[in-house]
Amino acid sequence: MDLLCDLDELLIFFGLQMPDLHNEAKIRDSTILKIPLKFTESVTLSSLEPCDSTCMIAQWLGLKATPDYESGLDIDLLERLSFSAGSSQPDEAHMSIQSRSNPSDIPHMSDGQVWDQAFRNHSIHTCLMEMVLSLQQAVADHITQLATRHQQQDLVPEEQGHNQPIWGQEALLGRLMFQMVNHLQFGATGGQKFQPPCPSEDSKGDVRSREQAQVSKQIYKIFYQLTNFEDTSINYVLSNRGVETSALYHGSFQDYNTYQGNKYHEDKNTSGFINLGTSENKLCTDLLTERLSRSDMNYIDDDLLQYSDWRGQPFLREEVAQFLTYYCKAPAPLDPENVVVLNGCSSVFSALATVLCDPGEAFLVPTPTYSDFVFSAHLYAKVDLVPVDLESQVSDANTHPFQLTVDKLEQALLNAKLEGKKVRGLVLINPQNPLGHIYSQDSLMEYLEFAKKHSLHVIIDEIYMLSVFDESITFRSVLSMESLPDPNKTHMIWGTSKDFGISGFRFGTLYTHNKEVALAMSSFGYLHGISGITQYKLHRLLQDREWIDNVYLPTNHSRLQEAHRFITNELKSSKIPFLSHGSGLYVWISLRKYLDPCTFEEELLLHCRFLDKKLILSCGKTFMCKEPGWFRLVFAATPLLLKHAMQRFYTVLVEQEQDWVVKQLEDAINQEVEDLPASDASQSYSREVILTSGLEGCCSDLGL
Amino acid sequence: MFTLPQKESRKPTTCPGSVSTRGLHSIYGDGLEREAARKPDQKLLYGVGDPTAMFSSDSPHLSSRGSIIKWFWDSAEEGYRTYHMDEYDEDRNPGGIINLGTSENKLCFDLLSRRRPRSCVDVGDSAGPHCEGILREEVASFLSFYCKSPAPLKPENVVVLNGCASLFSALATVLCEVGEAFLIPAPYYGAITQHVYLYGNVRLVCVYLDSEVTGLETHPFQLTVDKLEMALQGAISEGVKVKGLILINPQNPLGDIYSPGELREYLEFAKRHALHVMVDEVYMLSVFEESVGYRSVLSLEGLPDPQKTHVMWATSKDFGMSGLRFGTLYTENQDVATAVASLCRYHGLSGFVQYQMAQLLRDRDWINQVYLPENHARLKAAHTYVSEELRALGVPFLSHGAGFFIWVDLRKFLPEATFEEERLLWRRFLENKVLLSFGKAFECKEPGWFRLVFSDKAHRLRLGMQRIRQVLEGKSQVAEDPPSCQTQEPRGPHR
Repeated sequence: MDLLCDLDELLIFFGLQMPDLHNEAKIRDSTILKIPLKFTESVTLSSLEPCDSTCMIAQWLGLKATPDYESGLDIDLLERLSFSAGSSQPDEAHMSIQSRSNPSDIPHMSDGQVWDQAFRNHSIHTCLMEMVLSLQQAVADHITQLATRHQQQDLVPEEQGHNQPIWGQEALLGRLMFQMVNHLQFGATGGQKFQPPCPSEDSKGDVRSREQAQVSKQIYKIFYQLTNFEDTSINYVLSNRGVETSALYHGSFQDYNTYQGNKYHEDKNTSGFINLGTSENKLCTDLLTERLSRSDMNYIDDDLLQYSDWRGQPFLREEVAQFLTYYCKAPAPLDPENVVVLNGCSSVFSALATVLCDPGEAFLVPTPTYSDFVFSAHLYAKVDLVPVDLESQVSDANTHPFQLTVDKLEQALLNAKLEGKKVRGLVLINPQNPLGHIYSQDSLMEYLEFAKKHSLHVIIDEIYMLSVFDESITFRSVLSMESLPDPNKTHMIWGTSKDFGISGFRFGTLYTHNKEVALAMSSFGYLHGISGITQYKLHRLLQDREWIDNVYLPTNHSRLQEAHRFITNELKSSKIPFLSHGSGLYVWISLRKYLDPCTFEEELLLHCRFLDKKLILSCGKTFMCKEPGWFRLVFAATPLLLKHAMQRFYTVLVEQEQDWVVKQLEDAINQEVEDLPASDASQSYSREVILTSGLEGCCSDLGL
Repeated sequence: MFTLPQKESRKPTTCPGSVSTRGLHSIYGDGLEREAARKPDQKLLYGVGDPTAMFSSDSPHLSSRGSIIKWFWDSAEEGYRTYHMDEYDEDRNPGGIINLGTSENKLCFDLLSRRRPRSCVDVGDSAGPHCEGILREEVASFLSFYCKSPAPLKPENVVVLNGCASLFSALATVLCEVGEAFLIPAPYYGAITQHVYLYGNVRLVCVYLDSEVTGLETHPFQLTVDKLEMALQGAISEGVKVKGLILINPQNPLGDIYSPGELREYLEFAKRHALHVMVDEVYMLSVFEESVGYRSVLSLEGLPDPQKTHVMWATSKDFGMSGLRFGTLYTENQDVATAVASLCRYHGLSGFVQYQMAQLLRDRDWINQVYLPENHARLKAAHTYVSEELRALGVPFLSHGAGFFIWVDLRKFLPEATFEEERLLWRRFLENKVLLSFGKAFECKEPGWFRLVFSDKAHRLRLGMQRIRQVLEGKSQVAEDPPSCQTQEPRGPHR
């Protein structure tokens, strides 16, 4: 064991960190890095400009980017886009850009002008995107309905013959919609804004490679995405859902690997990415490593190597039942038969959604919420999440920010019904992620009563239940309640990823009073099983109550508290509003005042700025937050790392402020410049001069 | 005797008798009985599995697919649980059930556990920062060597998941739309039905094989291209869209292997119809008879359609580590590899298990010089013992020197050639404390076939064979305590 010299490797080995579950090296090699940088040189763009890549594509295609071109962004344009994307060889792509971006193709304007002009109209693009998205939703619903009907018709073989062409059409329609959305999506914001919230440990997807200038990156990214989708859609190897799965993956996980490839390390790589986006507790790896190295962990016997009960080894399920009885303060001992053990909470949620809902049905979920559930609900189960939008504003009905009330639940449920959605359940996270809230026992009871009234299932994720580090706060698990309104429809999820910081172990568990649900879930043991030896280690870990109570939890809580204090002091001193309630591994911060205008586009741009400075945070959009400008910052990291991270954080915010001033000036200047009949060269010259002087001015204004 | 009603009364009231009353007929290949009844004279060539048709009772708590999934569990797991409640143990429970139903290799734990400590010693000498990358490299080099591939296999074509079940599920999801189907020669390892259905909602079209040798066939249960064609056409005529063909090689439960010539024919067939071929080679190193001449599909020069040929392997069988949950896919198709890898988040295995697997696979000396020779010798000895016993009993069987099982023909012990009688015989075995898998669980269309697993320790085998003999010779003694089992369906899901 001591021979494992690399810390990362050690952590992965002990299951303290996520292993590369995605077998990702090949994707890393074959995609990002291979597109020649050359072709970024052929397009000259102002690096100040945020990127609206559709305009760039338009440019390459030689489209005249007049303000009304967007309205012409129709099938014709999409076809041309696909055509240009069809050249899957980067070199060919390169050729085609060069030829198309030749200024002579765009007779009236310089590249920069086209760019600028088009960029101003980006909101039209957004509208279009939203329209297409709703169209896609409509088509998807239609197909789901048809599919349900097919299934019924399958019972009558005679009726099937004539369904074939319809199936084909549906598949084609679905594929086309999918392609369109992707083209637009990656055109819109370099692939981020309109994606389903990123699926990973909260925010892996937020990572963008910022190795190169922002603009050049955007270019090759778009090309990569377009060529890639064209590839997958012309070869009919994969099913539609296969294509979609790959695409979601590319959109979300690929960048995580960029981070993995360039992680911050206090000695070896001080300029690497600092990840305060992924909610992992890295404060107690020393304790866990020590505990997991003890000799009792290395036990192996025949049983561990053989097939076991698919619900999880009996010894582990018993241990989990006892563990939860003790730490959740259950009024009566919990029953091991009600425990299902799978390889992670995402798997538990995915399987649970499958057995509780049919495709197209929905769960209510208060937002902002942990984005992984959105992904997990969609990926296999095809279950929708209906957001119950919460507001930061405190009002009569809202005694604290983002408060969940039964009224809001009722309203959301009603709206969903009006839209024809069949809602089967309510998803709650307690302690809340990303808000760090805890639901009081009374409110919890209200929510449960609400669910009972509408005969909804309630899925409660209590994965942070032992990460309540502020002693003045009393967390009450749903399992501690004396009498549940509807025990047969109350399902609790827990795992060791957060509370023990061992996400690499891949362990998640369900506790349900409903035997039927437990049995149906058991079938998924085949697909989400955990190694016998891992189960054994977990069993030993959970069994060691003395170590947990006397060593681990006190240390973990005091370290969390310390890190939390550091971060909150920093935020207070820089007057950044935040929410935090003494639980969880993160604070929910508001950076609204840095956004102008306060839109999700600007939120994303700020997010990209953080990435440029190698700092990863999760933006509110990925949590389905309906107000732009919120970010989640994970503080469960070492003091040194936090200090570095905060330096980067401030640098970005200062830049953001400066740029805001610059933008104001620029707008004013552009007004003037437009009146001057100057040549391109002198225009940019004059601009530069004015900008520079403007900057100096504003810097002194800001006291920098 | 076993009492059915007793069991019935213990069933949850929410699904009234759904599983047990339907009994045999409710196994997913139900089409078989229906079809057979409809055309009694016509030979049954194929059957389209349809899990949704099997189960209609709605649960107040589960979705309709959830009810089907639960039904799978009830029918699949309960038999296994029966065994777990009364497991044989030499000292503690000598009267317990001997499990000759689950296909596991219990002969080599000593070798494996002796090797294990060494794994910690060679940790780190060449291990890089990402053991996963290393694991894929190790898998590629391992498969290149043991599959005798003409050119080295590439790590980027390898995807690692937590077992072959997950691989089947993932492939079904990324290759098929909901309701589409794969062809599979039957009898086959029955749990695949569930694997492709759970998330994928994909069905299996059985290509029924016969024990009788007719026409140009050379051996029982032979798979021919004609049969494949007919099943495919039949499925198409019923409006079922077939996307691929599943082959298990060495075959489970037949213990057969496909010759390179046959394999190529099947692959050509698939290519003609633009079908994917998924080859499950999970028993590839458990070919204990040298003379058999097993060839992996990865060893073939010039595959007809390499972009649609996907090979699966795992350590569950060949290294007797089914509890470790390690399965791997090799495919040259990057779209498929990427799409399957996209699902890894839900089917991942712990970092340290990945690490240990890499260590194990790299230990070529131990595998070649210690493990494989010893494992093969032990398998062969056990096989010899069981086949001699069967011969002495006058029981016909099929076995070809591969796998952990013998496919036993007990048709002459059935008073009537029905699956009910097959079930009754199986029940008599269980009452006499020996667990076997019956043919219906493998979608065999002829009642009376059983799969008998021989890869167990000598004393257990001896006792198991003794109990089988007692049943077949009609000397079966009803156990003093009636079995406490809740149900009687061993679906043989644990291959």
